[in-house]
Amino acid sequence: MIAKIISEVEKLGRNTVTIRFRWDQEVQPGQFLMVWLPRHSEIPISVSHTGPMKGITIRSYGETSAAMIGLREGDRIFFRGPYGRPFDTKPVRKLIVGGGSGMAGLLPLIDSDARGVVSARTSSDLLFADRFAEGHVTVVTDDGSSGIKGYAIDGLKSLPLDEFDMMYVCGPELMLKSILDYIVDKPIPAQFSLERIMKCGIGVCDSCSIDGKQLCTEGPTFTKEELLGMHEFGTARLTESGKRIQIGRH
Amino acid sequence: MVHIDTAIAGIQLSNPMMLASGILDENGYTMLEILKKGAAAVVTKSIGTSERTGYKPPVVVPIQGGLLNAVGLANPGIDNFRDEMKIALSGNRPVFGSIFGATADEFLQLGLKMEEYGATAVELNLSCPHVAGYGTEVGSDPVLVEDIVNTLKSNLKIPVFAKLSPNVTDIVEIAKAAQKADALVLINTVRAMSIDIHARKAVLTNRYGGLSGQAIKNVGVRYVYEVSKETGKEIIGVGGIENAEDLIEYIMAGASAVQIGTALYTQGKDVFSRIAAGLVEFMESEGFNRISEMIGVAVE
Ligand SMILES: Cc1cc2nc3c(=O)[nH]c(=O)nc-3n(C[C@H](O)[C@H](O)[C@H](O)COP(=O)(O)O)c2cc1C
Ligand code: FES
Repeated sequence: MIAKIISEVEKLGRNTVTIRFRWDQEVQPGQFLMVWLPRHSEIPISVSHTGPMKGITIRSYGETSAAMIGLREGDRIFFRGPYGRPFDTKPVRKLIVGGGSGMAGLLPLIDSDARGVVSARTSSDLLFADRFAEGHVTVVTDDGSSGIKGYAIDGLKSLPLDEFDMMYVCGPELMLKSILDYIVDKPIPAQFSLERIMKCGIGVCDSCSIDGKQLCTEGPTFTKEELLGMHEFGTARLTESGKRIQIGRH
Repeated sequence: MVHIDTAIAGIQLSNPMMLASGILDENGYTMLEILKKGAAAVVTKSIGTSERTGYKPPVVVPIQGGLLNAVGLANPGIDNFRDEMKIALSGNRPVFGSIFGATADEFLQLGLKMEEYGATAVELNLSCPHVAGYGTEVGSDPVLVEDIVNTLKSNLKIPVFAKLSPNVTDIVEIAKAAQKADALVLINTVRAMSIDIHARKAVLTNRYGGLSGQAIKNVGVRYVYEVSKETGKEIIGVGGIENAEDLIEYIMAGASAVQIGTALYTQGKDVFSRIAAGLVEFMESEGFNRISEMIGVAVE
């Protein structure tokens, strides 16, 4: 494992932190680390800050992430990586669509021209909506506590899609699916970053697979065209034991 | 003209390579993909009688010369595995169902299910913990191994492979106990561990794990050679195969076919087509026409 000393922990609301540490390794937007908290577990986390001062943004969901957000400046962070196929970042005019903590992996893509749709269940769960230039972001919440009441897709509908060279999307798989369905017959190119269980991060355990491809090595980013051919996308995945379940109905 | 097809226990294989158990074989679609990439057959991950989530990660970590793993026999349970078998079998190539249990009776129930699901053969993973002899592996008890193998052989119609553990004092004794199996699979991972010196702690959650990859290749070759020489049984060689030379070494030690696991990590999924090309090249330059001409040539 790589071990680094944490130089800063930035609190982002109630249950989310960004942990910063110096690591002179090239990491590209869309890549992730397998972060190990000894005595707890090891979980995949996207790199939210890709400069020499790296950063990972963690929201507490389960036991391990809850313990990780308790890490302090001066503590050690253990991880391996970087892993995964990065986003293709050549295009200039970006449309960035993030749901919940999915914004963490999209943060390095935000530049002064980027347009964003940031969605979350409720206003306190919104992440990095404030990182877009003035007037460049549409906020959407499930409960209407901030911005438009609805889902990410509702924030997209008012935008002129033909003004962008590439759309980047990250969030829950059903959100990704609804967006893919919406843009299927529209000319905008898109890249999606998927999240599934990852036990190894290196293309061995098969826990993250979708239609024979491993998210950890061949993804987690996939293009619109790649996803269109996948019938497990938005429909089925394997649980921790390897049991096949329907997505959204468990 | 060089032919790289081979056979094991009467099952025809288009080339000598199959996917090893536990690597990219939990999801039926992944097994299909591996078949498309050139594996002649796939072995499923080891399936038990009930659903298990396994250990918490880290369960697989890269180390010098290979991988260290202790997945903890995570599996959906045999009843939930029917769909994956069906998907994998749609590739119209052999699918070997790997099963694990603690008793002959458990193995039998699992074997019968695999047969019902259409498995081409079953592979008995004899490396799981032995309930009675706590702390050891099922595969280190010759009486139990013989009981399991014989029970399955007398109740199943499909071939039975016994996968042996290298973590024993005398593998020949175990191989002889598994004499009735249609083929022996050698070897499973070698018990090992890794400590993170900064965390001052074992990296794997289970602390102990199994070593695979390059680091164990010559251990595997030696076991294949020894068991082939002492028993004359059909053998599937496994452990650290990354290129055509490694595969040929196993064949010359007495294996009729091989399995590939860790090389999926070190070499990627094209490993099957790359090895096949290297194999053809070697056979052409050395004047071999068939795999059978190479099997066991080094054994003396
Ligand atoms: C992550 C991982 C999981 C494994 N799981 C199983 C398993 O479920 N059943 C089994 O019989 N062998 C299992 N093995 C052992 C392999 O099938 C194989 O015997 C071993 O890895 C040596 O081959 P290799 O060096 O080509 O990987 C596993 C190996 C690895 C690396
Ligand atoms: S996380 Fe293990 S194969 Fe992707």
